[in-house]
Amino acid sequence: MSDKSKEEKVSTTLFQKRWKKFKSLKRGYYSFIIVVIFYIFSFLLPFFVGRDALIVKYEGEYYFPVFKFYLAETFRQKEVQGEANYRMLKEQFKQQDNDNWVLMPVYPYGPNENLLDELTEIPPTHPNNVHFFGTDDRGRDVLARLLYGFNIGISFSLIVTILSYTIGVSIGSMLGFFGGKVDIFGQRLIEIWSTLPFLYVMIILSSILNPNFLLLTFVLTLFGWMGMTYYVRGEFYREKARDYVSAAVSMGAGNSKIIFKHILPNALTPVITFLPFAIVANIFSLVALDYLGFGLPPPTPSWGQLMSQGMQNIEKWWLIGTPLIAMFLTLLSITFIGEAIREAFDPKVYSRLR
Amino acid sequence: MENKKLVEVKNLRTYFFVEATDKQITEHTENFDEKLNALYAGDKYLKGKVPAKAVDGVSFDIFEGEVLGIVGESGSGKSVTAYSITRLIPDPPGKIVGGEVIFKGKDLLKLSFDEMKDYRGKEIAMIFQEPMTSLNPVMKIGDQIIEVLLKHEKISKEEAFKKAVNMLEQVGIPAAEKRMKDYPHQFSGGMRQRVMIAMALSCHPALLIADEPTTALDVTIQAQIIELMLRLKKERKEAAILLITHNLGVVAETCDRVIVMYGGKIQEVADADSIFENPLHPYTEGLMSSLPDPDKPKQLLQAIPGIIPHILELPKGCKFATRCTKVFDKCWETEPDLIEKGKSHFVRCHLHG
Repeated sequence: MSDKSKEEKVSTTLFQKRWKKFKSLKRGYYSFIIVVIFYIFSFLLPFFVGRDALIVKYEGEYYFPVFKFYLAETFRQKEVQGEANYRMLKEQFKQQDNDNWVLMPVYPYGPNENLLDELTEIPPTHPNNVHFFGTDDRGRDVLARLLYGFNIGISFSLIVTILSYTIGVSIGSMLGFFGGKVDIFGQRLIEIWSTLPFLYVMIILSSILNPNFLLLTFVLTLFGWMGMTYYVRGEFYREKARDYVSAAVSMGAGNSKIIFKHILPNALTPVITFLPFAIVANIFSLVALDYLGFGLPPPTPSWGQLMSQGMQNIEKWWLIGTPLIAMFLTLLSITFIGEAIREAFDPKVYSRLR
Repeated sequence: MENKKLVEVKNLRTYFFVEATDKQITEHTENFDEKLNALYAGDKYLKGKVPAKAVDGVSFDIFEGEVLGIVGESGSGKSVTAYSITRLIPDPPGKIVGGEVIFKGKDLLKLSFDEMKDYRGKEIAMIFQEPMTSLNPVMKIGDQIIEVLLKHEKISKEEAFKKAVNMLEQVGIPAAEKRMKDYPHQFSGGMRQRVMIAMALSCHPALLIADEPTTALDVTIQAQIIELMLRLKKERKEAAILLITHNLGVVAETCDRVIVMYGGKIQEVADADSIFENPLHPYTEGLMSSLPDPDKPKQLLQAIPGIIPHILELPKGCKFATRCTKVFDKCWETEPDLIEKGKSHFVRCHLHG
């Protein structure tokens, strides 16, 4: 090898290799891109979907209702109580035909907005070219609720997954590294904890306390961390017997260095491969809880709540069909991501003797 | 040997507690001394287990500046002796039951794990047998060396980086600065052993323990690695090397003194020349005659008959009795003592008693 080619040789980390492999698995890679883009987009939703105008120009002044609450009186909207109704305002300004104007989001309906005044039929109304997915039984726009529900569902499941994995990985590594009594007692405690019936605890809790986002994250984390401990514990048991660990000890590394710097990075494979599936499972749990009515409090847009409405109005197909399809597509693409990650972490290329 | 003693190992006993049959249990637990009795009384884990005496009463000194070799077959206790010095015996099943390891006036066996940390890597460093597995696969090799430097020396990251590059250059790794960013899988076995040596020597330890450093390498690389170790040793006069090997060629080339171990006990100690020219113990003789002789190329090699017995079935008297060609009645009954025969030449055999 000449000196020049030596210089050009860039060492690829294991992570870079896996990322390259992941990118080559088209189904998972594109699902990943789509989900990430959708998720980022869902944080910017108020700019695209919502009842609040982006910009209002009223009597020479600019207002930005997306960021700030304005009373109807600000725009001398006599018909409306409380917050200004910007769709109505737009119509009014159009009729007045002066300098005032309103810039609405592309899809000008909010997720929690009651449209009873505007609807001509009794809700739930059919999908039409104004409300693409119709409205639900309280006259709220289904598409807006679906989109906002996506953000809440994914955020919720990401938070729960990260929290429960942090707990699971740290406890699992403790059990695996220290072994002995810590391991035996720790495992028994985990087994006892795992037998607590999650659903009943959840029902009891939500009848005593008012379930909200924080409480739900807390409870789901509390019941979700045990699974990971088994895998991490096993990995630690295997890795700590490896030569490089005794080499590190022989060089004077302390316990925490060995756990976090030497063993943990080598024990992360199951953690990462299970991650997408855990996210799927947590989205599903939230939907299920919402469906049963033990989930997020009522006005919050959620898929499970839409489905339970759909079950009550079984002939209104859009109430049950749209959240089901949305959930199916989301879970499917995340599963594709998980499949690709697993494949990317697999050191063996699929091969057989022929 | 006018040099100062660096390490003094006194009556070191490292036992592995293993499960055994009832017959073995009665056989091996009847003549316990106080220490073992106390140990068994205090630990439930030991119930139903017998001590496999991997190292049983080993005493030797390591002098400053020497290369001390420990030779013996697999299972003779040479690696366990070395691991006991740095206390890398996995517990359970292993336990250092007794003895002292005096290093620079301190008994290493009495230190806590945290106190021991300051000795490992800084004062005593190790090179392992398997270069393929003794480096962390997910850490850049540069980072692994820097970690050791930062742990033991009060220097900044930049200085540590420079020092690490310097170490890699010294062990003969080309384009050292580039390769700092490489991962262990990008190195060949010999290169990885060089990295291990660089890492072990980075803090200038007073004692380097090399546990069969060349066993996993092919012959041409073996020579390079041995040469490298000796070259680096020459630069530091007081540093000692404890070389564990079953390769007598390596011993002849490198060692000042040699310890021959069998059955967890020292059988013969002498300087390298007298071991090769005048072996006293029949086991040492056997080892020597198993070397190929370039003058008689077609001759079959003389092997020591039999295999090393299971550690729980070693004979009561001389441990080598089952395979010795010169065995007589006394050998089966009493174990000979390690006695001095000639200048600093010790042997444990009734033939010389």
